[in-house]
Amino acid sequence: MDNLILKVCTKVLFTPIILFGLYVQFHGDFGPGGGFQAGVIVAAAFILYAMVFSVEDCKVIMPPKLNFFLLALGAFLYGFVGIIGLILGDPYLSYDVLGSTKEAGQHIGILLVEFGVGLTVCNVMISLFYSFANFNFGKKNND
Amino acid sequence: MIGEIIINAFLVTLMLTIAIFIINTRKVISTILLTGTYSLVAALMFVSLDAVDVAFTEASVGAGISTILFLAALSYLPKEEKEEKFNLKHIYAICTCTIVSGLLIWASYDLPLVGQLENPAHQHLAQDFIEGSRNHIGIPNVVTSILASYRGYDTFGETVVIYTAGIAVLVLLHDGVSKISKINKEKK
Repeated sequence: MDNLILKVCTKVLFTPIILFGLYVQFHGDFGPGGGFQAGVIVAAAFILYAMVFSVEDCKVIMPPKLNFFLLALGAFLYGFVGIIGLILGDPYLSYDVLGSTKEAGQHIGILLVEFGVGLTVCNVMISLFYSFANFNFGKKNND
Repeated sequence: MIGEIIINAFLVTLMLTIAIFIINTRKVISTILLTGTYSLVAALMFVSLDAVDVAFTEASVGAGISTILFLAALSYLPKEEKEEKFNLKHIYAICTCTIVSGLLIWASYDLPLVGQLENPAHQHLAQDFIEGSRNHIGIPNVVTSILASYRGYDTFGETVVIYTAGIAVLVLLHDGVSKISKINKEKK
């Protein structure tokens, strides 16, 4: 797509969208939001970039290999937070022992777990878009 | 009270209108965009039910990302749906729809009114969750404390489902991508 207005707007909007995603991610304890929504919002920023510029340009700022790594890391982080609790002598996925007090432990646990959800959702969405877009690209070239 | 009824009636009418348009249109791109609009109205519906977290998810996932993914998948699809003549299949579909929707409407008479304190949903664990969220977890948003702490196993399951679904699609499409790019390179 070759439209100057769209390109400039995307460049201006890219950072605020990610910032809003991070706000939704880490403010989920106090307001509406959480990992799922934040992941989708951050993914939307990258997808917007890929749509206005090109998928190849987006792959420079978000390489597919990093994408696959973060995708797995998110789910791993969630499971691992549960295992830390297990090692410290609590049931799986109970966060009480993670902090100095029970409340602090819960805060840390929920923050980490939501971050894991956000990472997975964000990177699944981006890599889904990559694979769809790539597939199209190849198909058009073949015709 | 009256205001609430007017808002709900407006939203339901809007949803019905969009649904009718979705059924009538033959162009795939308008179907996709109308489905996104439908999700957006559904999100407004959730706001009017005071379920802000669900509304947020519906707006971002239903109206946002799934519309984009459908649009990205659009080029595999034909531009327009084929017109089909009225046949036996349609009669089966009409019968099934009428029976199922009749049963659902019949069952809806047994549902309790929304937002009443005596409802079964508010009797069992809800009170423990609300009090525990304040006293034990210390987080103002009860939805987050239920999602991440009380029902942490379920959310872990959801995350793994998203992870698995993503990996499955990548395995299916990535193979095709690498084959096609190989062909392109050979051509060059």
